[in-house]
Amino acid sequence: MTGTPDGEIQLLIERARAGDTRAFEDLARREERALYRHVVRIVGTTADAEDIVQDALFSAWRSIASFQGLSFRAWLFRIATNRALDQLRSRKRRPELPLDPPDDDDVTWAEPVAPGPDLTQLVGDREALAAVETALGSLPAEQRTALLLRDVEGFAYEEIAVITSVEIGTVKSRIHRGRLAVRNVLIARGWRGPEG
Amino acid sequence: MQHPHADLSAYIDGALDAAAKAAVEGHLVTCALCRAHVAQLRATTALVQALPDPVPSRRLVPRLVTAPSWLAPLRTLMTLASGAAVFLFLASALVTNMAPAASTGAATTAREASGDTAVKGQAPAAQPAGAPTVTPAPAPAASPNPAFAAPTSSPAADNVVRGPATVAPDARGGTPPAASAAPAAALNPQDAARTTLSAPRPSPLLNPWLWLALAIVCGVAAIALHRRLRASI
Repeated sequence: MTGTPDGEIQLLIERARAGDTRAFEDLARREERALYRHVVRIVGTTADAEDIVQDALFSAWRSIASFQGLSFRAWLFRIATNRALDQLRSRKRRPELPLDPPDDDDVTWAEPVAPGPDLTQLVGDREALAAVETALGSLPAEQRTALLLRDVEGFAYEEIAVITSVEIGTVKSRIHRGRLAVRNVLIARGWRGPEG
Repeated sequence: MQHPHADLSAYIDGALDAAAKAAVEGHLVTCALCRAHVAQLRATTALVQALPDPVPSRRLVPRLVTAPSWLAPLRTLMTLASGAAVFLFLASALVTNMAPAASTGAATTAREASGDTAVKGQAPAAQPAGAPTVTPAPAPAASPNPAFAAPTSSPAADNVVRGPATVAPDARGGTPPAASAAPAAALNPQDAARTTLSAPRPSPLLNPWLWLALAIVCGVAAIALHRRLRASI
């Protein structure tokens, strides 16, 4: 929604709440791609991600009367994220178990063992991006979700806490652990970090 | 020295409160290792942000079209109409298949009952065109009371109707005027009316193809309405 005046968004939201389908479609179309890239990185399969986003948008329309508090964008991401995590849980044998292992403070920092390329110069490097994608895919789903909401979608910690229904402290921990895990994967592949 | 590792991500995200931020900044001034870690975490964030966007293969925004209130009842009506038409198709097919068998049986009985009369009625038509001595269709034409001549069974009536058609060529072929008496009798309006009454045309409502076509039309309409309702909200 970059570059869109807040007033225009508010007007569309009010019209959508009043039952204007075109206004809702306009709002949804602005977030369609972002929702898809977020969900596909959570569930890992494009077909499931498309279905989840479509269902989430349909669900959002049906419950738009209950929309309040959050930004509209965060509200859409909350619906889509919940559906994506539910989908992952349903794949597990025991869906009542949490997706993540319990948080602890024992976060290790892998250090480079040999000189390698500077991470800051790897943006655009196809191999490095593939490594990042793989590292993200290997993260626990709730860490991955928090990291994507922060680094890709740019949500504030408070918004991520509401979207994922956890405390801010948990959001802070998940983002840090997820980011550190990706960094460790890259370091293990021989890249060195930039000098601080 | 206690490294503020757990706060470094929140620090680069600007998510620390003022006191925690000041503490981290103070530590970074003196700790090269933590400065390196902050730089690495920033670089990691930049890489995650640089991931290419996957593109969905189809439109994901549902088409939110409100359906008119009369659409659902119309779908129900079309579904019921289709079912009723299928039933009528089967019923009319059974009736029309049984009717010829019944009429065939009736015709056989009537033919047996009319016996020689029918044979005699056919005799003139069976004569060669050039036979001048034949007396054609004497019974219907020569009877003083046409009511007696009117056959009571359909085969006889058929013979009377066929009379003109079969005899007419004979007339063109030079049949004597006496031989054309039968056609004159067949063209009698009363006889024609009786002929119509004795062999009524089946009602169009008994045509099974009519009901089959109606069932298909109603079924297709019901499916189309169902899809339209599913696509709407």
